[in-house]
Parts: sequence; C-alpha cells; structure tokens
Amino acid sequence: MRISTNQIYNQNLRAILDNQSALSETQMQLATGKKLTKPSDDPVGAAKVIRITEELDKITQFKRNNDLLQNSLEQQDTVLTSIKTALNRARVLTVQSGSGVVGVAERQAIASEISQIRDEVFDLMNTQNASGEFIFAGYQSQEPAFSFNYGATGAQYTFQGDTGTNEVKISDSVAIQSTSSGQDIFENVFARKRFSLDSSSGMTANSIDVTKQATFDQFHNTYYDPTNPTNNQFEMRVNGTNEIEVIQVGTGTIIDTLPFVSDAAFEYEGLELNLTGTPGQSITISLDPPVKRNAAETLNQFVRSLTDATISDSDFAQALSDTLVGIDNAANKIALESSSLGARMNVAEQINTANLDIEIANKTARSSIQDLDYAEATTRFSLQETAFNAALATFPKVTNLSLFQYI
Amino acid sequence: MTINSNLFTIANSGVTASNTLLSTTGRNIANVNTEGYVRETTQFIGEQHGGVGQGTTERVLSSFATNQLRRDTTNVGELTSFAQNTGNLDSILANEANSVTQGMSSLFAAIQTAADDPTNLPSRDLVIGQTTTLLGRMSGIGSYMDDLQRELNLSFDNQVQRANSLIQNIADLNESISVVSGNGQVGDPNVLMNERDLNILELAEILSIETRVSQNGTGAINVSLSSGEALIMDTGKFNILQMSSEADLNFRTLELNTEYSSTASKLNTSIHVTEENIGGALGGLFKFRNDVLEPTARELGQMALVLADNLNQQNAMGMDLDQQIGSDIIAVPEFAALNYIDNANLDSEMYGRLTPGASHQLIDSDYRITILKAPSGGTPNTFDISIDALDPDGAPTLDEFNNPITQTLTVSAEAATFTPVNGGIELEFPSGNNYVVGDRFLIQPTRNAATEITMATTRAEDLAFAAPLRAQESINNLGDAKVTATIVTNTSTVGSGQEQSAFTSTKALQTATQSPDPVLGPPTEIRFTARDAYDVLDANGATIASVTGVTSLDNLLAQAKNDGASGWPASFSALNDYPGYDVSLQGEPRANDSFFLAYNLNGITDNSNAIAMADIQSKGTIKISNNSTGQLATLHENYANMVGKVGEAAGRAQISLEAAEVMKTQSENWFDSVSGVNLDEEAANLVRFQQSYAASARIITTAQEIFDTILAAVR
Repeated sequence: MRISTNQIYNQNLRAILDNQSALSETQMQLATGKKLTKPSDDPVGAAKVIRITEELDKITQFKRNNDLLQNSLEQQDTVLTSIKTALNRARVLTVQSGSGVVGVAERQAIASEISQIRDEVFDLMNTQNASGEFIFAGYQSQEPAFSFNYGATGAQYTFQGDTGTNEVKISDSVAIQSTSSGQDIFENVFARKRFSLDSSSGMTANSIDVTKQATFDQFHNTYYDPTNPTNNQFEMRVNGTNEIEVIQVGTGTIIDTLPFVSDAAFEYEGLELNLTGTPGQSITISLDPPVKRNAAETLNQFVRSLTDATISDSDFAQALSDTLVGIDNAANKIALESSSLGARMNVAEQINTANLDIEIANKTARSSIQDLDYAEATTRFSLQETAFNAALATFPKVTNLSLFQYI
Repeated sequence: MTINSNLFTIANSGVTASNTLLSTTGRNIANVNTEGYVRETTQFIGEQHGGVGQGTTERVLSSFATNQLRRDTTNVGELTSFAQNTGNLDSILANEANSVTQGMSSLFAAIQTAADDPTNLPSRDLVIGQTTTLLGRMSGIGSYMDDLQRELNLSFDNQVQRANSLIQNIADLNESISVVSGNGQVGDPNVLMNERDLNILELAEILSIETRVSQNGTGAINVSLSSGEALIMDTGKFNILQMSSEADLNFRTLELNTEYSSTASKLNTSIHVTEENIGGALGGLFKFRNDVLEPTARELGQMALVLADNLNQQNAMGMDLDQQIGSDIIAVPEFAALNYIDNANLDSEMYGRLTPGASHQLIDSDYRITILKAPSGGTPNTFDISIDALDPDGAPTLDEFNNPITQTLTVSAEAATFTPVNGGIELEFPSGNNYVVGDRFLIQPTRNAATEITMATTRAEDLAFAAPLRAQESINNLGDAKVTATIVTNTSTVGSGQEQSAFTSTKALQTATQSPDPVLGPPTEIRFTARDAYDVLDANGATIASVTGVTSLDNLLAQAKNDGASGWPASFSALNDYPGYDVSLQGEPRANDSFFLAYNLNGITDNSNAIAMADIQSKGTIKISNNSTGQLATLHENYANMVGKVGEAAGRAQISLEAAEVMKTQSENWFDSVSGVNLDEEAANLVRFQQSYAASARIITTAQEIFDTILAAVR
C-alpha cells in the first residue's frame, strides 16, 4: 500500500498519544486505589456501589443507635436492680416488725428505716438520664415521674407522667422499645385483694381471714365484676342437709356447695372461715374493688401503721399483710420488667452481630466492585510503559528514513 | 522536410513537459504540510507529429475515500461532542463532594440520632444542617446543569454560525470554480477545489451532509442535509440555519431558513429540522441535551420534590418542640407556565404547584396545556383544557401501553383556585376570561425544582418528632390490653370545611363547640363495656358511637366509623378524614377498661414521628416509570438509577467514539494513501524529471550539432 509522509507522522503521533492516555488512566487508578474512577467505567457497578454505600451508612447509624439503646436499657436495669434490693430489705424489716417480740419502740426504729427505703425507692423511680430527663415519666420527661403530696387524702405518692414509650431503630425492620413508663412498671401494681363482711342474717362470723392469698386472688379475678356490684356479693347459706351453699347474689347462682359444721374452721377459696349458724341462716361477704399502689406508697402506708401508737393488733396484722403482698407484687412486676429488658438487650446484641456480619459482607461486595487489583494494575502499568517506550523509540528511527538524505 | 525544426519542436516540448512535471513535483513537495492538499500528477499525451502535447495536471483523488472520510468525520464529530459532555456530567454526579446520596444518608442518620434523644437541640440542629447541605448539593448539581444548558446554547450559536459561514464559502467557491474552469486561460481550479473539499469536510464535522456533483457541468457541488433538506442548490442559492424556541426560551430548536429567489412565487419560510437526525457535532450536542441533560435535570428535580414533600408531610403528622402541629420544613416553589410564542394572547398566565402529599404520582415529564374551550364567563368561570405529558424534547410521554399520557378536564379560571390534575400537580388559572382557544402553555414541574427548593424553616424546634396524639390506658384497667399504635392521618388545623381534623392550633383537640357536630366533640375515650364491645366517648363523656361484636382491636375509631350500626355521627363521616387519628390495642380488655386519647401536651420526649421520618429513607416514594401501577423506588435507588443511566450513556458514548475514531483513522489512511504526498516518491520523481529535462535539453544541442554539420557540409 502506498503510504504518504503525513501518514507516517500521524500514525506515530497517534500511537504515542494513545499510550499516554492509557498510562494516565492506569496511573489514576493506582493513585486512587479505585477501579471505577467515574460511573461510566461500570454503570451497573456504580449504581450498586451507591446502594451498598447507603446500606453501610445505615448500618453505621444502626450501630450507633444500638449503643445508645444498650446504654439506656442498662441504666434502667441498674435502677430496677437497686429498687429490688431496697424492696427485699423492706420486706425483711416488715416481716421482722410482725414478730410478737417487737414492741412500740422497735416499731418506731423499723419505721424510720423503712421510710428511708421509701425515699430511696421514690428517688429511684424518678431517675434522670444524662440529659436530665426523667426516664420513667413517659413522653413528659421534663417533669418527675412520681410526685409526693403530703396533703393528699388518698395516696401521697402518685404517678404523674404518661404511658408513652420510645423506640430505637436498630435495623431496617427492627425497632426496639428503649424506655418504659413508670405507670406500667411501678404504678400498675395490684395492692392486696380484699373482701368485706356485708351483712348477716342470723349467722355469726367467728373469724374470716385470707390465709392463702394466691388462691383468693384467683377467686377475686374470676368473680370480680366492675360494672355490677351485686355480682361481687356472695351469700353463704346453710341448707337443710348441713351443707353451706355459696350463692352469687347478683345472678342467684349457687357456685359451690360445701360440707358445714358450725363453729368449726373450714377453707374456701383461700379464705379460712369459722361460722356459727343453723340451716336457713346466712352471711354475705363482698369482694372489694381492686386497688393499684406503687411500692413507695405501699411502704408509706406501712410507715404510718408502724408509727400509729393506737393501732389495733388486727388492723396492724392487716397492714402487715397488705405491705408484704404489695412488696411482693411490686417486686414481681419489676422482675417481669427486668426479664423484658434482658430480652431486649439480647435482641439488640444479636441484631448488632447480624449488622456487623452484613457490614463485612457489604464492604467485601463494594470492594470487589470498585477497588483496584493492585497486582493486575501494576502489571498493566509496566506493559503500557513498555509500549510507550517502544513508540517513543521507534518514532525518530522511522522518520529519519528519507530518500532526500541520499541525493 | 523540416527535420531540424521538428527536432527543435520535439526538444522544446520535452523541456516544457519536464518543466511542468518538475513544477508539479515541486508543488507536491512544497504543500506536503498544507491541510487539505491533494497530491497532483501531470499527464501527457504524445503529439501526432512527434514531441509531447500539453499536459493536464489533476488531483489524485478517490471519491469513495473522500465520501467515507466525510461520513466518518461526521460520526466522530457527533460522538465527540456527545461523549465529552456526557462524560463531564458523569464525573460531576460521581464526585463525592457533590454526592446527593451521601447527603441523604447523612440526613437520615441525623434524624435517627435526633430520634434517640428528641429534646436535644444540637442534634435537632444537625438535622436542619444536613437538610440544608442536601438541598445545597442538589441545587449545586442543578445549577451545574443549568450552566451546561447555557453553555450548550452558546455552542449551538457558534456551531450554527460556523456552519452558515461554511455553507456560504462553499457556495462562493462553487461559483469561482465554474468561472475558472470555464476560462481555460487561468488554468486548473485545483486549489479552489481543495479548499472547497476542506470546507465540506469541516461542515461534515458539524452536520451530517450529502454531496452531489451538479448536473449542469459547472463543476459545482450541491450539498444537502442527510435528512434531505437542501443547503446549497444548483442555482447557487443556499439556505442557512438558525436557532429558535417554542415556549421555553432556554430550550432552543434548529430551523432552516429557505432563500428562494425574489422573483419566485414561493415565499421564504423556516423549516423545523429534526435535531435527532442532524448528526455531527451539532447533532451530538442536541442528543446530549435531549437524551441526557434534560432528563437528568428533571429526574433530579423530581427527587428534590419527592424528598421535600415526604419530609413536609411527615413533619405535618407530628408535634414540634413548641408543641404545635409540624409545619413545612422545605419550601416547594410554585412554577409559572410558559407561553408558546405563537399564542394569540401572550399575556394570559397559568401557575402550577405540587399537590401536597401527591409526590408519589409525580413523573419527570413536562406538560403542555391546550385551551379547548373559552371561559364561560359565569360563576364559577369554567373552561376546558387538555393536558399532555411531554418528554424533554417535546415528544409525547408514553405510558405502559405506548399511549400518550393525556387528560381532558374542565377547570375554573379563578385566581387562587388550584385544580389537581394527574401526575401529582395542581394548576391555577388566574387570567379569567383572557384564555383564547388554541393557546398553549408549557409547565415544567421538575425542570428547575432542584435549584428552586429552599428551607422553609431553620428553627430546630420546628422539627415535629413527637406524635400529636397521646393514647394511654387508664390506671384502673383490670384487663391487660395495651395501646400498640396511635395512628395520625390528618392534622389540618383549619377548623372548618372538608379538610378539617380534630387538631387545633391551640395545643389541644377540638372542644365540643369547635367540632363539626353540634353536640359531640371529637373522640377522647374508648371505654369497653364488655370484652368485645366498646363505646367511643367525647371529652364530656357523651357517647359518640357504640360498637359490639368486636373481633379485632386494630383501628378502633375506624371500626366505629365503618360500623353502620354504631351511631357514628354523620357530621363526622361527611368530612374527608375526621378526626384524623386512630388507635390500636393488643391484649384482653375487660369491661369498664378505658383508653384515653388526648393532645400530646408536654410529650416532647416522644420520638415516634421522628422514627417515621427516618423510615422515609427505606420507603418506596418515587415513581421511576410512567407505568400507572408502577412500583415506587426509594430515593437512594432512584439516585443510583439516575447515576447509572448517565454513566451508561457516557460509557456507551465512549465506546462508540473509540470505534468511530478507529473507522475515521482507517478512512484517513485510505484517503492519505491515495491523495497524500510521499516525499520519497517526490524525491525519486525529482531525479527522474531532472534527467528527462537534461535529456530534452540534450536533444536541442543534438539538433544544433546536426544543423551545424549540415551547414559545414554545404559550405
């Protein structure tokens, strides 16, 4: 083929320029460590990198959320443990105060110690976090969760927050409750379920006591009717065959029939009764409405009973039972919440591990798309360098060949 | 008879011929570096009576090679301008400093951090800061694209000007060449032809053209666009190109101005040229604008609007740190419609805006609104319009069945009345009776949105992280049912009309006197009368509705509303969404259990709305296809798609450009190998012609000697 002089120059020049741009491209990759220097290098990969990077950014945030969540759950756990320890001590003291050898002076001493514990519990229920928020006050965390009102006729320690709880997102699909409301874990505790003696038609009640509180609670739960008070009344009537029938007054149904011996104690649904009566006579008891009372209030009421010098033995015994049951119920609720906290911490931990795994997988995926294989790139670089050198070296040789030098 | 004189004549013709050959060789050597120079050869024919005739010097040219080179030059020109511009946009989108996706990740991370501690002002400030940064990044890319559009318009002008001057040059050269070749005295018009070829090649770089040698023997060349429109005609007349625009003054289109002779019966006119087929550098620029720049600008704008709308909507569903219902975080601009230049009444106006909460219907099209029927003049002053969705280049946008997306409807021509239309936008027609049938308007909802959205507030307190409603169980409940969700769907505080909700601007729910019902207030308590029946009560304890036979504890108010027998007031159900909230429970309620609903006064530690706001990140919010039932993509997916699309265009352009350059190199080689000067060849010729010159000169001395011999013999 005929070759024109310009062609020779152009061809050489093109070879040099092409080599130069290839070298510069590889050099850029080596300098940045990235295979993709712009999206057009691999459009599909670039779009994928954007999505993976978003995933990774989210995981970073989820990890941070997880740390905050664990801190907050741990703080609550610590508070609950402290309250539980305090309540245990209060229970020991309460039991101690019921022993027959404790006199008025000792009761005073116990009262002062229990009032300390009451204050401690009150303080713990109003725990604040690092930002000064009352952690058990629900959404209204700027105000204390519980307030003390000396002049109140009923409960002096009352909850004044709300039931709001917050959640923290720790993965795309999992949000975990990070706070608990004082209403749920402290205030929503049943006081001891009680009954009252309503009326009697000829029958005498020598004694009626709750001896098995749990059985009685069961009975109370089953039969208590908040809307119709007469359903809460139970008439115990001795029938002709020396049995006693338990009749729900509101419905008139006989719910139970028991053997009856006058003046002898018998048990019914956690109650120990000792009645005197003849067939046809009856006595009516009714279930008291259930009351909810937080631990501080329970202790507060017991302190008042302890310091009441004129309290009767039976009233004190009632107060003692109220307190023991109240403390147990509060402790149960706290134990329940503790296990829920533990469960949530476990979930958070597991999700954190999963997030870390996903993070590694995503980083590997992203790296394989956008990061440079240095071995390959350096090899390529030296190959291109060789080609460039060859182009530079041959240029003067080819162009020096001219017939004009020989004529 | 005349041997000697004959010999002299022969010698003379030989010397002259050698001289001509030498001068041709000299010209070839001298022009070795001249652009567009085609090597020449001189051909001779032997004379009948001895000697050599007059030579003709011609260019050595292959018209196949020339045409191939011209076509390849057009291709390379088109792909170069397309690939360069696309590559620039590609790098801008990939630049980490501009990265919108990183800005979005940071924003949503900031929202989550703030959600962890909703009363913390610094972390709220960070959310505002990240939002501002993200808007800045979007508007940065948006204004880069605006600048690019302006640059493009300048390039269009430059290229068109250059093309026009080349067209004129070629026409002039055609004329000169016909004059020179008609007049044998002046010689061959080779230089003029070289220049004309060069001009044609240059024109081919700008536009895709076809050439044809004129039939009337003048040696003129006719040039036309590849799409058929004539640029330079037989008559010597030529047409020129010019830029114009239809409605959007920044969106220029190409036209051809015809130049008929003044005596022709036809009037001069402007023909619209299809930019898609124009080819060359100009075609590459048009292609870049229509296929890459404009769609990308709209997609970015769509994304900006969707982000703004979602943040605003979610913020409105919450309560801010001032304990008010959340207001807009980002201000979404109204956009004015553009008049088409051929409208009868250029003064009538039209405005559009995004329908709040409808951004998921938004597509990245423009809309052309045509007036079908004049305003009635009545009250309301109604008239008919049709709305056609257009792609950036003005072609109709097609739906999944390949039908144009269009809508015809009756609207009222009143100021401040916005009529919602398809595609998530609403339109206002403030010019009353001034709309003329046939007039058209162009609206571009997404074109400039990325640069036009701004922060509506910079107060960190205005972020509504709390839910405005608090639902809680009564402490006296005996059952274990708990509130699992409060749902807020409408927080309008207008206080009257179809849109109203039970929320007010006074940090409380409506009272019984404020509510739409003459007696009842909005629901504030749900009280169970049995485990499967409940009453809905207002703040005064009056029963709003009673539901029995409950099987699910989800959405208790909606159940009351939908249960025909519940007694839900008609005054409530007549409204669009009243009271605008609902509640779901879980567990086992017992008779007499109550659940209270109240304005979340002082509930500023609540983060439920912040969590919902953070969820926007992973929620499908944006329509990426015109398919009416299409899946929605997340903002990140959309951005990744957008970058991928531009990257793909840039990558493809780069590959095609490389291929076209190889082709062009081939045809250049072909052309050069036929028409280029080879100095070695010329060196050889130089020696050869020098020798023939010397030999011819020797013939003269020989003739002289013969003559002298004869002279001496007769002396």
